[in-house]
Amino acid sequence: MKKRALRKDFYMEIRRSLGRFLSIFFIVAIGCAFFSGIRASEPDMRYSGDAYFDNKNMMDLRIISTMGLTEDDVKAASKAEGIGHVEGRYSVDALLADGDNQIVVHVMSMLPTMNEIQLEDGRLPNKENECVVDVDYMEKSKLKIGDTITFSSGTDAEVTDSLKTDTFRITGTVSSPEYIAFQRGSTTIGNGSVRAFVYVQEESFAMDVYTEICIQAAGAKELTAFTSEYEDTVAKAKENIEKIKEQRQKARYTEIVDEANGKIAEAEAEVTDAQTKLENGKAEAAAKLADARQKLENAQAQIDSGKVQLENSKAEVAATEQTLAQKQTEVQNGTAALDQGIVQLNQQIEQLNAVKAQYEALKESGMTDEETLAALEQMSMQIQIGDAAVVEAQAQIDQTRAQLQYAQGQIDNGYAQLEAARQQIAGAEAGIISGEQEIASGWEEYYAGEAEANAEIAEGEQKIAEAQAELADAKAEVAELEKPKWYIYDRNDLPDYSGYGDNADRMKAIGEVFPVIFFLVAALISLTTMTRMVEEQRTQIGTLKALGYARHSIAGKYLGYAFLATLLGSAAGIFTGEKIFPYIIINAYGIMYKHMNELLIPYNVMYGIGAAGTALFCTLAATILACYKELREQAAQLMRPPTPKQGQRVVFEKITFLWKRLNFSWKASVRNLVRYKKRFFMTIFGIGGCMGLMIVGFGLKDSIFAVVDIQYGEIQRYDGTVIMAEGASEKEKGEVAQMLGKETEVDDAMEGILTQITIGNGSKWHDVYLDVPKDKKQFPEFVTLKERTTDRRYSLDEKEVVLTEKIAKELEVQAGDMITIRDEEKGDLKVKIKAVCENYMGHYLYMTADAYEAVYNEKPEYNAVFYKTVSGTTKEAQSVGEDILQLPGALSVSYTTDLKQQVDDMLGALDIVIVVLTISAGMLAFVVLYNLNNINITERKRELATLKVLGFYPNEVSAYVYRENIVLTVLGALFGVALGKILHRFIIVTVEIDTVMFGRNIDMSSFVYSFLLTVAFSMIVNGAMYFKLKKINMVESLKSVE
Amino acid sequence: MEEFVKLKDITKVYHMGEVEIRAADNINFSIKKGEFVVIVGPSGAGKTTVLNILGGMDTATGGTLTVDGKDITAYDSRQLTGYRRDDIGFVFQFYNLIPNLTALENVELALQICKDPLDAKKVLEDVGLGDRLDNFPAQLSGGEQQRVSIARALAKNPKLLLCDEPTGALDYNTGKAILKLLQNMCRERGMTVIVITHNQALAPMADRLIHIKNGQVSHMETNENPMSIDEIEW
Repeated sequence: MKKRALRKDFYMEIRRSLGRFLSIFFIVAIGCAFFSGIRASEPDMRYSGDAYFDNKNMMDLRIISTMGLTEDDVKAASKAEGIGHVEGRYSVDALLADGDNQIVVHVMSMLPTMNEIQLEDGRLPNKENECVVDVDYMEKSKLKIGDTITFSSGTDAEVTDSLKTDTFRITGTVSSPEYIAFQRGSTTIGNGSVRAFVYVQEESFAMDVYTEICIQAAGAKELTAFTSEYEDTVAKAKENIEKIKEQRQKARYTEIVDEANGKIAEAEAEVTDAQTKLENGKAEAAAKLADARQKLENAQAQIDSGKVQLENSKAEVAATEQTLAQKQTEVQNGTAALDQGIVQLNQQIEQLNAVKAQYEALKESGMTDEETLAALEQMSMQIQIGDAAVVEAQAQIDQTRAQLQYAQGQIDNGYAQLEAARQQIAGAEAGIISGEQEIASGWEEYYAGEAEANAEIAEGEQKIAEAQAELADAKAEVAELEKPKWYIYDRNDLPDYSGYGDNADRMKAIGEVFPVIFFLVAALISLTTMTRMVEEQRTQIGTLKALGYARHSIAGKYLGYAFLATLLGSAAGIFTGEKIFPYIIINAYGIMYKHMNELLIPYNVMYGIGAAGTALFCTLAATILACYKELREQAAQLMRPPTPKQGQRVVFEKITFLWKRLNFSWKASVRNLVRYKKRFFMTIFGIGGCMGLMIVGFGLKDSIFAVVDIQYGEIQRYDGTVIMAEGASEKEKGEVAQMLGKETEVDDAMEGILTQITIGNGSKWHDVYLDVPKDKKQFPEFVTLKERTTDRRYSLDEKEVVLTEKIAKELEVQAGDMITIRDEEKGDLKVKIKAVCENYMGHYLYMTADAYEAVYNEKPEYNAVFYKTVSGTTKEAQSVGEDILQLPGALSVSYTTDLKQQVDDMLGALDIVIVVLTISAGMLAFVVLYNLNNINITERKRELATLKVLGFYPNEVSAYVYRENIVLTVLGALFGVALGKILHRFIIVTVEIDTVMFGRNIDMSSFVYSFLLTVAFSMIVNGAMYFKLKKINMVESLKSVE
Repeated sequence: MEEFVKLKDITKVYHMGEVEIRAADNINFSIKKGEFVVIVGPSGAGKTTVLNILGGMDTATGGTLTVDGKDITAYDSRQLTGYRRDDIGFVFQFYNLIPNLTALENVELALQICKDPLDAKKVLEDVGLGDRLDNFPAQLSGGEQQRVSIARALAKNPKLLLCDEPTGALDYNTGKAILKLLQNMCRERGMTVIVITHNQALAPMADRLIHIKNGQVSHMETNENPMSIDEIEW
């Protein structure tokens, strides 16, 4: 063999300078591992994701119709071109009471073969009233397997319209390929967002048409998801479905219209029937009433005549009574006269008796005188007349007395008759009263009957009118019936699905930037190392040249050396890196996508070849560059020592007053720094890269914590949100507000609207939360609207809205632009953006109640109460929430700390990335610093040996070298700050997920930590160098210059 | 003033695998203060070993070295550094100047570490470089560089000035000039100077001449009337 000596020299060279060989090997290995590993993570994420979806027999497309989907639709879809398997299923959103909280769940029937759910615990349902529940939700909830849950609809319809029963037993927990991360989609009931999914058997549904049809595109399964090949195939299938869409929509429309028309006809017949019946009933009722009225009127007439008679009788009795009284008076007068007559008689009798007495007296006196006799005679005469008169009077009296007695008898008789007549009248009166009462109650009955009849008639009429109105409505509805609309979605519509692809893209973006730094460093390291090697072997090159070896043979050694080191290094790097990095990264994302249990990390040949090729190119180019300079020179020139580099004055020396103060070591160091420019820049780049990577690592943490700290500490300052039950009365809502006011733990509460709406700029649409505070004065206490960069505060006004930063960027709108709110009922509404405000979690659109009214043209209906607790702790917020949920008006309560937890979960994945970055940074720093220091010391061995001979103590010698390192470390760190800031910004923007905006800030402490770590790495390397310096033999100083 | 420097049975053994090399084998000699000593011998005779041991750059395997009454062989590495720092001035064959420092700065570099230095500028003027103070080594000729090197050694005001082939890299005339400088320094300042060379021609200028051969002192002579370098030719 011709050049055996050269070959031997080559192998010997590697053995002798193993350190140098290994340093190239390692830096290339690290570079390639990082380059190919991080890049391979992207396709590996796609492969792993695809494997998972294939394994679960995931659908590619989904049809949802506004009017349900029939078996015919399923058949039609399966017959469409480019379509593989098709299955229909039922689903409904329902409310589920879990403890005091009401959440929205999406209830679905299990598909026969597609979208296989993964049983995590328990068993699948096998009865109509059994279900399996979202494992992620179950972990957080108090519910457990075996519990019974009850659904309610959350709308006017009954939940049993959709499901056969509303009560289900949980038989197990599952994960679903349709829900790969945390999101569960949105809904129109409850608070608008679905919290969990529930699977039941198909038989558990009571619907007669499917809600959705799941479709697999033919040949899509064989392709890798998240790639354009897959997307194209699915897009084609989607087009084919679009083709049958029109016809199927029409068919469904006809079906619905026919059915409705049939029902309307039926209903119309019913109404007519009812009308007839009502008419008949009306006539009947009228007849009956007329009859009753007649009877009552007759009875009244009788009573009236009875009354007249009675009055007459009464008058007679009165007259008779009067006559009787008169007669009685007469009788009494008669008696009185009689009594008087008796008295007179008695007087006459007495006078007579007196006369008789005189007569007797006279007669007795014996006086028989004439006069006496005459007087006697006369007296006897008088007595005789008197007696006769008395007798006569006596007779008269007796007669009168008899007459009077007779009259009295008659009067008494008359009175008795009168009494009888009176009794008769009383009887008649009683009869009349009862008769009248009867008639009165008769009328009452009559009127009641009439009213009843009228009411019934009115009711019947109203019903008919209603029925007619309904019929009219129904007819109008049928006439206006919107055509069924099909929505055809691909997998990107599933929550978090596209996020996975985005994450892969993010990895790609990271993979395109970060490894480049490593590669640059690797190339620079190789360049310096190889240059040093060639320079060291100057004499040997000269000798070989002098011996007549051709340039390429000589250069071959160095090229071969670099080639071998690089090839082995890149092979080692690629083989380990392509396994380790994707493994770490996919596992890190596994925190977010924890049910995606497939991990596929094949070797990506392209990335490997790319990495190795780049590495080879870099090192070989560096070697050729290094050789070129030496090989160009003449052999004789090469065998002489190189002309020493000129000492240079530096600009710094012009600042004499400072320069004078420096001691010689410093002067030498400053000049050295300027002199060895290559090393200067390399070290600065290496240390800067290290520092930059660590700043990125720590900065990511800062930015992520900013989300939680700024979002919930400075921006959204409330601790909980109560969502009111839909259809809760004003009173019930008032109770909630009142209760919140009363709780001692509550600091402040504010009513408002919080609901999900869709906004867009015309081409892009996005879901955001609409937040309308009732009291705009109170609002700043709860939400701080400010500009991120300037901290300028914004306030809401009557017309315009404030939009959060991330969504504004996503929709490419800014303050002053118009955006469109897409409302299901009101169509597209335009509003003007007043300002874009700082926000990290979720997207919000803020407007005042006035603005709401202006935009929606209706009074806002407040559905939420935001509250702040006194101490702002989770415990307090939850204890308040638990109390509030007891009220019927409260639907659910969400706590900001829950959201914090969510953020922590999501971002846990990044922690590992940060660790990877920091370790890589450390490795990078170490390799770079060690290598450069090594070269530095080797190059300056003589100088250092001289210093030793001059009597410098070891630490003084080290200080001489370290001084440069310290300066370089500090300069590198400064460069690193700039580099880190740029990289951090880039990474932050790339790794952000849709609903989250990370902080753009890096804490001072992160700079400090990164700097301290960089210094620590630098010190470790310098420490290692100390021993190397100590080993430098002073005899070196006696050797000649090579 | 007797025996300012005294080497007694100085032995240095290197082990090269199985082979044992005796670089210095029972070397004995003494030097008086203020003497101009020339140590001559062919390549590989052990001159450099002796120089290394004298200069505190290496330790002897056996024997004792006394300098100014102090037993240097008993020193540890730190004491040896101190010894080099304070007691020894060293002139290298290849000057070994710090390329990034000017002539003046190179001298000052050495001065900043020693106790009782001379004025750097003055010393440079003494060696004839008063007008090249601010030049970098690369801007100086070999002789000038060696002058700087000597100035650096002298400015430390050492007890002992060790010169390793000081003219080895210089042309004849420059070499002569350098030796003249060294001789003058010795005479004018009473400095003890030891010059190590393979050049036998320098022998007559020495106060004391030590021949070394195969690691041993083969011959030592004192010269009562040393010649001036100007009178020597080779």
